[in-house]
Amino acid sequence: MTREPRAVVLKRVRKRFRDVTAVADVDLEVHPGELMVLVGPSGCGKSTLLRLIAGLDEPDAGEVWIGDRCVDEVAPGGRDVAMVFQSYALYPHMTVAENLGFGLRVRGAGPAATEARVNEVAGVLGLRGLLSRRPGQLSGGQQQRVALGRAMVRDPGVFLFDEPLSNLDAALRLETRDEIAALHRRLGTTMIFVTHDQVEALSLGQRVAVMDQGRVHQVGTPHEVYRRPANLFVAGFVGSPPMNRLRLVRDREGRLAGGPFVFPGGSPHREATLGVRPEDLTLAVVAPPDPDPNPEFTATALRVESLGSEQRIRLDGPGEAAWVARAPSALHVTAGDRVAVSVAWERTHLFGADGGRIGAAPRPVRGSRP
Amino acid sequence: MRGGGAARVIPLAAAGAAAAAGVLILVVAADAPSRARERATRAEARAAASLYELPGVTEADVLSLLDGRARIVAPEAGGSGPGAHAYRAGALEPDAWIAVEPQGGGSRWPWAASALALLGALCMAGWAAGRRRSPPPPRYPAAPALLCAALFALVAITAQHWSRGELEAISASRVGLGLRVAEIAGASGADPEAAARAAGLPWASGAALDEPDRIWTMPREVGEAIAAGPGLRSAPRYTVVAAGATYHGGTVALDRGPGVRAQTADDTVHLVFLGYEETTSPAVALIASALGSALIVSLVLFLLPLAARPRALSGTLAAWGFLTPAAALLLLFTFGPLLFSLWISLHDWRLVDPAHPFLGLANYRALLSDGAWWSAVRNTGVFTLHVPLAMAVALSLALLTRESRRAVRWARLALFLPSITSVVAIAVVWKWLLNDGYGLANRALGAMGLGPVAWLSSPDIALVSLMVIGVWMVVGYQMVVFQAGLAAIPRVWYDAARVDGAGPWQRFRHITLPGLRHTLFFVLVTSVIGSFQVFGLVYVMTEGGPLGATDVAVYHIYREAWEFLRFGNAAAMSWVLFGVVFAATWLHFRFLERRSAHA
Ligand SMILES: Nc1ncnc2c1ncn2[C@@H]1O[C@H](COP(=O)(O)OP(=O)(O)OP(=O)(O)O)[C@@H](O)[C@H]1O
Ligand SMILES: [Mg+2]
Repeated sequence: MTREPRAVVLKRVRKRFRDVTAVADVDLEVHPGELMVLVGPSGCGKSTLLRLIAGLDEPDAGEVWIGDRCVDEVAPGGRDVAMVFQSYALYPHMTVAENLGFGLRVRGAGPAATEARVNEVAGVLGLRGLLSRRPGQLSGGQQQRVALGRAMVRDPGVFLFDEPLSNLDAALRLETRDEIAALHRRLGTTMIFVTHDQVEALSLGQRVAVMDQGRVHQVGTPHEVYRRPANLFVAGFVGSPPMNRLRLVRDREGRLAGGPFVFPGGSPHREATLGVRPEDLTLAVVAPPDPDPNPEFTATALRVESLGSEQRIRLDGPGEAAWVARAPSALHVTAGDRVAVSVAWERTHLFGADGGRIGAAPRPVRGSRP
Repeated sequence: MRGGGAARVIPLAAAGAAAAAGVLILVVAADAPSRARERATRAEARAAASLYELPGVTEADVLSLLDGRARIVAPEAGGSGPGAHAYRAGALEPDAWIAVEPQGGGSRWPWAASALALLGALCMAGWAAGRRRSPPPPRYPAAPALLCAALFALVAITAQHWSRGELEAISASRVGLGLRVAEIAGASGADPEAAARAAGLPWASGAALDEPDRIWTMPREVGEAIAAGPGLRSAPRYTVVAAGATYHGGTVALDRGPGVRAQTADDTVHLVFLGYEETTSPAVALIASALGSALIVSLVLFLLPLAARPRALSGTLAAWGFLTPAAALLLLFTFGPLLFSLWISLHDWRLVDPAHPFLGLANYRALLSDGAWWSAVRNTGVFTLHVPLAMAVALSLALLTRESRRAVRWARLALFLPSITSVVAIAVVWKWLLNDGYGLANRALGAMGLGPVAWLSSPDIALVSLMVIGVWMVVGYQMVVFQAGLAAIPRVWYDAARVDGAGPWQRFRHITLPGLRHTLFFVLVTSVIGSFQVFGLVYVMTEGGPLGATDVAVYHIYREAWEFLRFGNAAAMSWVLFGVVFAATWLHFRFLERRSAHA
């Protein structure tokens, strides 16, 4: 580790493109040395946010702080950040060595110093043998490494990654993801990593910021984001297959009810949504002579998808919408079977009418047996 | 069925086409001697008549001239066959009709060539008949065409050889005729001028000798023979000072122009005996007809096998039908003139002289020491320096207008206008703007208290003025091309460079320039080529002046051809220019190839 990592702080940053609000009043604090992942669906403003940090775009409102200074008036080159672009943006007419050294050369570093540093980084990334090639003569993975190297060479206070893995094939993507994590451990630099792939986000990030429509919906560790999603959007976006939902409505006795479930106690909410992750459902095949002793509800398996290590089973209940359950591959279910389903209630989520999380749902007073 | 019919038709058609082609060549070959012979007979009659008209010449003299082939009859008896009216001195009505029997001798028909052509036709027929029996389509369709071309080239060469022999014999007899006329006239006491006129030889003395169009074509030996001829013995001794020409038989080396001058020993020119009718050999026509017939025959050979398969035939015919207009236009208006100008450049080709002697590379060699040409080349080079200037301006404008807002688009349109406006219109307007007296430019300078500038009338400034106009003319076009090139450079490279800390100049230097290098190269080469070919501006604005300061290559060529009517020189200059432009283009493509191999 060669230098003090920097914090990145966004204060009510807003950016509009004509009638599109790409970034809407975002507050975000990235701690020094942290690997923060920005995740969200396509078009939610992740790249724009990153470009605002890099200084490639100027915010319409708000402030960007890097380290202990407000960088709104500082050009991208002066912000002590380095960026890896999705398309890599390697300079096609320069060799790999020239690409790597460009940031040093334009800052007035001498040829000898540049070469030494380029060699050092090329050694770390295994690019030594490619230094005299041009980007057009490299594979996608090699280009990705060069792009990474170009960011590393300058030893910046903050790394910005804009979906750097999305052009790689699945195996290479996993490998590179691990390498970036390792790189982060080694350098200890602040890194902001943009992706639209929530699996990547959860596996890579120390903390994850989930974005949608220009807003940051939740910032937290992968565990928090997964286990305690702040709202329905985060709950739906994070996790695959997505969280099962059931609409609940307050009945005459003031209890929330929906599908086969009636929850105890009066509720201040007129409406709510029950969320259950597929892995929090436990299935058992209903054999006529020996029905499951205590199922929450029964349903019919519509479709069984085997993924090898587990299977995904699409159910026709409990409510109108179909739910998906994950089950060990040892379970013998075929489409059309009746299954008894039990729910791990302590891990469920109840969301209010505004989408915000209220807490876990209590065990319902009534199960499915009609 | 169809196939059977085609089997019978194909050999016949092939033989017919070959025979027709052969006949075409033979007719062309026979045409030149037969016309030359006709002309010779008429000239003999005229010479005999002139002799008859000389005082002191007897009828026996006239009859002896043509070895008895001439008859002197009453004027009314004439009119049938070749002959000429003859007048005795002072008479208004012809005194006699000299009828001449055409000269015999020589073979009147190219038998050898005919036999070859017949053989060729038979071969074709046999080949086509054989081809019918072997069903697969020809492996090498070009082979019969090449064979055919070779055969007909042989026919053409044989015919040309024959035709040349004929022409030589006719010319020799005409030379002899001239000498005999001069001899008989001299023996009868006529003066040299009258003798020369009677011999049909042009006569001039004193100042008339310097008129170029009095210089006729004749071989050196002929000139010397005439100069030493017995009818001219009364004149002083003559020496031949410039000689050489093409006549049907061969070429005599030339020093300056064609012609023979006879000069007295004391350097006063007295006489010129120049000339006698030139005969052109039908070589070009023969080559053309041989090529044409080869084409026809090979086309027939190519199409006939298809006749067995009507579908394929109609498809092929349709394809060729569609190709023909474009190919014909290309041949006629592009390759034709091109080759013709190459041909001209190898000859002494002047409009005033019907003879075009072959010079080889002499026109090109003469260019090497032609100061005016090199000055025009240098002016063209200097003018071309406006290209980098224009490119710098255009690139700056393109960078300024990169974000295309509406006002900028209007500016773009305005700058592009000169590129789509007629050069002549532009030149006229600029000529008016830059006029010494009333031009807007000088008036504006005057309003600022600055003296008038002789924009177009000073040899030092005129070319610079043209260069400025050249910049103005091409800058819009170049700018639009640059804008397209800039738009093709991905923004993300600039983003990456900005994050890397590159300032505006470094981004220009390391991203924009490399990204534009193909565009820059393209614009450079096309503009340089365009600049090499500048003509309209010079033609309208300065006519190469003042003092040749704006005489550029194309304008120089134009003047050489259409003012001085020296097409041979002009064609040679054109080909030198072509070579330069071609080299530039070739370099361009070589560079592009090499560069794209790296990119
Ligand atoms: N230069 C621009 N001009 C106009 N609109 C833009 C511009 N850049 C981005 N936008 C808009 O801003 C919104 C956010 O764009 P952004 O590129 O930040 O999305 P993203 O989250 O990076 O998406 P993706 O995952 O597809 O890259 C989109 O609606 C986009 O259309
Ligand atoms: Mg993006």
